Parts: sequence; structure tokens; C-alpha cells
Amino acid sequence: MTTAPRRGKPKIMAPKKHGPEFSVDKTWTELKKNIREIQIQNASNLSFEENHRFAYNMVLNKQGETLYKGVKDLVVENLDSMAKERIEPVFPSGTTDATVLSDEDSRLLRKVKDVWEEHTNNMIRLGQILKYMDRVYTKTANVPQTQELGLELFLKQIMKTPIKDHIVRSVLNQIRHERDGCPIGRSTVKGCVDVFISLHIDHSTTIYKRDLEPAILKESEEFYLNEGVRLLAECDAPTFLSSVESRFKDEDSRVHHYLSSQTSGPLLAILDATLLVPHLLKVIEKPSGLDFMIDSNKFDDLTRLMDLCVKVPSGLQILRSAIKESIVRRGKAINDASRSDDSTNAGGEKPVEEDGSAKKDKGKTKTRAAPAGIQPALTWVFGVLTLKDKFDELWRKSFKSNREVESSMIGAFQSFMNMNNKASEFLSFFIDDHLKKGLKGKTDDEVEVVLEKTITVFRFIAEKDIFERYYKRHLSKRLLNGRSVSDDAERGMLAKLKTECGFQFTQKMEGMFIDMRVSADTSRDYANHISQSKTPELDLSVIIMTSGAWPVPQTPPVCIIPPRLGSVCESFQRFYLSRHNGRRLTWQPHLGSADVNIRFNARTHEVNVSTFALVILLLFEDVEDDHLSYNHIREATNIEEGELKRHLQSLACTKFKILRKHPQSREIDDADSFTFNQDFTYPGKKFKIATVLSKLENNDERRDTMERIEEERKVIMEACIVRVMKSRKNMSHNDLVHEVSSQLASKFQPEPSGIKRCIERLIDQEYLSRGDDRKSYGYIVSLFYWSGVQVQ
Amino acid sequence: MADNSDVEMNHETAEPVVNNSTEDPSESNAARASDWVRLQSSDGFSYLVRRKVAQTSGTIRTMLDPLGGYAEANSRICAINERGIIVEKLVEYMSFKSHYENVGPKEEIPVRDFLERIPPEIVLELLLAADYQDSKFHTLMLHPLTTDKLW
Repeated sequence: MTTAPRRGKPKIMAPKKHGPEFSVDKTWTELKKNIREIQIQNASNLSFEENHRFAYNMVLNKQGETLYKGVKDLVVENLDSMAKERIEPVFPSGTTDATVLSDEDSRLLRKVKDVWEEHTNNMIRLGQILKYMDRVYTKTANVPQTQELGLELFLKQIMKTPIKDHIVRSVLNQIRHERDGCPIGRSTVKGCVDVFISLHIDHSTTIYKRDLEPAILKESEEFYLNEGVRLLAECDAPTFLSSVESRFKDEDSRVHHYLSSQTSGPLLAILDATLLVPHLLKVIEKPSGLDFMIDSNKFDDLTRLMDLCVKVPSGLQILRSAIKESIVRRGKAINDASRSDDSTNAGGEKPVEEDGSAKKDKGKTKTRAAPAGIQPALTWVFGVLTLKDKFDELWRKSFKSNREVESSMIGAFQSFMNMNNKASEFLSFFIDDHLKKGLKGKTDDEVEVVLEKTITVFRFIAEKDIFERYYKRHLSKRLLNGRSVSDDAERGMLAKLKTECGFQFTQKMEGMFIDMRVSADTSRDYANHISQSKTPELDLSVIIMTSGAWPVPQTPPVCIIPPRLGSVCESFQRFYLSRHNGRRLTWQPHLGSADVNIRFNARTHEVNVSTFALVILLLFEDVEDDHLSYNHIREATNIEEGELKRHLQSLACTKFKILRKHPQSREIDDADSFTFNQDFTYPGKKFKIATVLSKLENNDERRDTMERIEEERKVIMEACIVRVMKSRKNMSHNDLVHEVSSQLASKFQPEPSGIKRCIERLIDQEYLSRGDDRKSYGYIVSLFYWSGVQVQ
Repeated sequence: MADNSDVEMNHETAEPVVNNSTEDPSESNAARASDWVRLQSSDGFSYLVRRKVAQTSGTIRTMLDPLGGYAEANSRICAINERGIIVEKLVEYMSFKSHYENVGPKEEIPVRDFLERIPPEIVLELLLAADYQDSKFHTLMLHPLTTDKLW
């Protein structure tokens, strides 16, 4: 190109430049001079065009290599002099005074940063005038372009052993200084760290990754190992948590403000490993730990604890088991409290101190309202509900509604509630208490809320069949005695149970409601029917219970019904049987009640008594002012002894002493005798004599109930096994046990050994056969012995 | 070196302008894109060109880069070490390029007309100058039919 054009018309002029007057030495000397000017920041006095053309000419004249080498030498020279004059003089003196040291470190870092910035600017300027060289020479010569060259040289000339080590040390010191709570110039540190990040040793590795990050991580690990131990020793749990949390925040901000985000992961992992993993459990177990925070509703601290726990893989597990433990411990306290019947109030307060006052108030209203016998049940359920509320709140507020925590909580509730073998009974009592009419100064809505909560607790109960039994018993009492707060409330509760446990669970209870409705109709029809023929001697209201649906004995307690009552009963029976052919009516006198007018000396009162009590009272009608002995009453009524005593007690020993007992005492003895109390007075006209309440079942009765339930369960299990086997034909033992357990889980939790016994029984009865491998069973199609199993 | 003296001469004539425009570096990028720069030829012609247009040449772009901060960036006077007729053609190309740079693919670019306007006697000199200017002008001149290599 430097010669004249080889072809074309003679008119075309050859470019006049690049002639032989070009001199390498002269051009380079000029350029060198100017590059030195650039390196002392004098570019603004230089012409770009001139220098660019120097470089251009040199490359054009095949002097690219000279130019490249020359520039490189100049840059090296400049870097060396900067290192010597500006960086080396400010190497830290190695003093131990933290403040002085920090100043020295900061000064060194600032210098390094300055040198770096100056160098990069120089390289940009050089790159600009050497652009033609970059475009044409570097590629063919396979050498790095000016910018890369600049980085390479900086790495080689500045980031070498004494200087680099000092810088790394200073950066570490600055970080340490900041961790100790002293302010540092973050931008200076960042400047230096950025230098490390900008310099590569190969395509993927920066010297930050190679030299600085490992040092930072190592230093951090040492620091936080000590810090963790120190915090654990010096601080209580909330302080520990907040300190650790702020450490996490600090490191995070540190990483993002002046380190590299690529360090974030490893650094925070170090924090996890040094502050959390080894100490979490100990912190939770501190006296000021989880339990204390739960007791005193420290939502913020607990939130913090949760946040920290989820950071490490084992953390949530630790937290979950601690929560579970805490709940179970509190639950056990509630269990214990309910067991010591006499201290009804005091026991319940223990597990939840801060709710104590509120709880006490409630307890008192209940003591007034409810008979003492069921107080432990109410206290227990109330305790459980309060505990549940408390942990639900914690769960929402502090544990981020975490599903895993929830499942631990559920597990904890299940475990302690099922430790209390009366749980089902208590719960049913509690519901009964709330569904009973007119006992509380509570609105329907409040009751609704309580019942809703009760259902959530109900879910935790494993043995739902026991609950069903008690609930039916209580429900029937409410219905028969007309004590339900409202039909809606009852049905609402039933609907809830239905959604929880399915259609079968409530089938019989719904039958009870149907019976109630049909009975009302029947009673009305009967009244109409009677009034057509004659004036009724007394009004009769009958509840006809479908046998089987109601928890009443098949053979009712015997009682000699006085003729006056007996005639009415017969009249109704005739009426009923005439309408429903082929049915059988069995009277259940122990469930009924009667309104009677009784004339005393002072005035006549309208009294509501149980049927048995009426039968007893009617005895006194004929024997004015005379003593009737206990034995006489028993013979005349034929009422079973315990029942009779109970009714006599209600007539003679409660608030309304219609009968006088001789001698006077609280209990009925076989030798006692009774007289009608003519002098009885009471301000109101109407009153009701409640039968002395059936207490909670005593132990014998409970054993009896449990035995019956066991029997029922056997039948249910057998039925279930047969059902499963019928559809599957062949099944291994484990699969079968598992399948049966899961099918019955909504009712109760069958023991594997119980299932095994049932299977054995079924094999004996030739429903099943043992498989050849001794581990599986086959179903035998059989046509006999079917009815015995088809119970449920 | 004759070139050298030309530059010197330009430098001197440019000096008064430097004083007038010292406040420029503070201007924003947008304002800078639309301001004017002076291109001076070695034989004393000068052309006022929009900065945006002038920067279609890579060399002039770097020359005016405030990051480098060379004299030209401060004075906004660029000495182009070519004869006036060459500078004029360069400027024409720059304007042509920045005018047609962003047209749609459908529109026809009158490349041929443009190239025909180049007097044959300066072609070689222009080619060298275009190469020095690091614009795509020389590509255009060498491959006039491949319009995708235009810019």
C-alpha cells in the first residue's frame, strides 16, 4: 500500500503519505514522550489525532511489534514506579493498636485503589490511541489487546507477593474491624476488592476467588466459631437470637456492599455452621429459651428463632421436636390437673400462666353452673383449647404458618391428648355442657366459636368410637330432657362431626333427631285422639325411640308403675299399636319426667320431677304424715337399688326437701325412713327437682364401657378384614394390616396385634386361608357364618 | 514531516475555540449527541458536523470520547489529516450513513448514486482515509453490492 497503485488510470493520484520520510525511531520517540505525558495525567494537552496517527503509521510500517513491546515496557515501568513510590511506603507497620492499624490498612487500600484507578484510566487512554494496533496487529500477533494487557501487567507488577499479601491482610483487618463494631471506609475496601474481582488468572477464575475469598472465609470461620461460643456463654436466648440475626444481616450487607455476591453463599454457610448448627439446640433449651418465649408470648423472638432455624437443614427439625416437647409437657400438666379432681382450678392454671386470670374467671362461672363432677372434664378441655389457641397464634405469628411445624404440633396434641384415656369422655362432656340450655350467659355465636374449636381438638382424638359412644349418651340425655340449647346448634354440631368422621358416624344420631320429630307428631295425634273421647286424666307426651339408635338398655330398669299412670300408658300403647302394626313398645320409665302439682301447707307448687321420683311421691299420697321405710319404698316401687337411692337423695337431700329423711344425712341408708315434708316452702310457684346427676363414670363403669368397646372393635375389625380380603382375594400380612389400619383410622387406631388376633380367628372360622409362603392370606368364599360378621 | 506541520497549523487555529467551549464536559450525553463539532482538513477547510454524525467514524468517536480527555475532546475541533476534498467526501459519507442507518429493510438505499459521486481520481486516497477513520466506508467502497455490509 505504500507504493504507487499498480493499476488504474494514470489520472488517479497515489496517496502522498507514508513515504520514505517515515522514521520508526523518530515516531516512537515522540509517541513514547506522549505516553509518559498520558501516564502523568496530561492527556488533555495532547492531540489525539497526532498520537493515533503515530501508532497508525508504526503499525502500517510493520512496526507493530516494536510499538507493542514499547508500550508494554512503558506500562511496566510506570506500574513499578507507582508501586515503589506510592504503595510500598504505606505498608502497615504491624502495630497492635486496633485504631492505628485500621487507619494504616485503610490508607494502604486507598492507595492501591488510587493506583488501580489511575492505571485503568491510563490504559483506556492508551487503548484509544492504540486502537489501530488493537485492530490490526494484536490479532495477527496473537497477543492480548491493550486493555487486557493493562490487566495482565497490573496483576503481574502490583498483585504480587509482598503487595498482594499486605492488601489481603488489610482487607481482612478491615472486615474484622467492622465486625468488632467500628466503622470503616467501605468504599475503599470495595475499591480494592473490585480490583481482585477484575483480575483474572484464566477465563473463569478471578484472583478474588483464588486469593481473597479463601482468606476471608477462613478468617470468618475462625471469628464466628469463637463468636458462637461467646454468645452462647454470655447471652440469654433472645439476645443470642437477635445477635445472630444481626450478624447474618451484617454479613449479607457486607457481601453485597463491598465483597462479591459470589461469596454470599459460602460465607452465610459458615455462619450457619458456626452460629446455628452447634448452638441451636442449646439455645432452645436455655431457661430463657423456647419455653420461656412461648410462656411470655415473645412473638418477635420466636419469629427470629424460626427464621434462623429454617436456615440450616437440621434446624427446623430441632425446632419442631422442641415445640412438640413443649406442647406435650404442657399437655401432660393439663392431664395431671384433670386427674386430681379436687383441685379443679389450681391445676389448670399451671400450663399457661399469663392466661391464668382469665381462666380462673371462666372456671368460677363453671363451678357455679355445672355440677362438680364434670368440672375436671371442663377444665381439661378448656385447658386443651387454650393451649391450642396459644400455639395456633404462635404458629400464625411466629412460625410463618409452616406446614411442618403444624404437623409437629398436631402430633404433639395427639400424643398428649391420647395419653388421657378420658379424653373422648371429657370432650363429649364439654360439648354437652355447651349445648345444654340456659346454663351460660353466652350467646349462640360464642358457643358456636367454642364448638368450632372443640372440633379442631376432636380431630386429635384417635379413639373416635369412644367419643361417639359418649356423645350419643349425652345427646340422648339432652334430647329426652329437652335440655338442648337449640335444634340448630345440635344439628350444627352434628354436621361438623359428619364432615369430620363421615356419614356413618352420625347416622344413629340423626336417627335420634328423626325420632324426636316423629314423637312430637305422635304425641299430638294421641292428644287429639284422646280429647275426642274423654277429658284426659293427665297429659302424656311420649318419645318413641327406635331401638338400637339410642344408647338405652334393651331391658329397661323395672318399676312398678302405679295404676293411675299405668292406665294412661296402656291407652297410649293401644293407640300407637293400632296405627303401627307389628311394633313393640318398651317403656323406659327411668328416662321420663313429670310435672305435678303438690299441695304443701303454705301453698301449691308445680314441680317437675323424674318419673321415678313421681312414682315414689305417689306412695306418700295415700299415707298422710306417716313414715315410709326405705325397704317399704323399694318393695312398693321395685326400683333398682342404686337408682332408687339416687332419686330419694334428690327428693330429700338437695335444695328442695320435699321429703324428710330420718335420720338426716347426705347419703341414703337402708335403715332410713321418709316422711312427706308438709312444711316445705319455696318463693316461686314452679321448680324443678333435678335428679342427682350421674357423675363421670366410675372406674367399674368405665371398665365395663371399655370392654364393650373392645368387643365392638373386634367385630368391626373382623368385618373390615373380610371386606378387604373379599375385594383383594390375596394379600400379604403387612399389606392387610396396613390397609385395615388405614380404613379404620377414622374410628380408632387398631393395634396390629389385635388385627393379627382377628385374622387368626377368621382363619379358624375358615374365612381366610394361610398362603403357602406363610406371610399372606387368601379369601375363602363361604356361604355360612356370614351374619356374625356383617354387623357394621 | 509535512503531516506534522499541518497538524500544528490546525492546532493553532483551533486554539481560540478551546477557550470558548471549556464548559462542555459538564453537558449531558443527550445534549452532547446533538451538539456540533468541527472537522478541519489539512489544507485549512473546516466542516461543522453534528457530533452524532461525526461519531459514525470510530476514530473520531474515540477522539471525542470525554473518557480519554484528549485535546480534541475538550476543544471539539478534530484535525483530520487529509485534504479538504477527502474530508468533504468523508463527511458526505457520514451524513449518508447516519441518514440511512435506521431506515426500514424495504426502503432502497441509493448506494450506487452515492458511489458514482466519488471522483475516480481520489478513490485510492479516500480508501486509505476511510480505513484510517475506522468507518465502514472502505467496506462500502470495496463491496458496493452487498448492502448488508453497508455499515
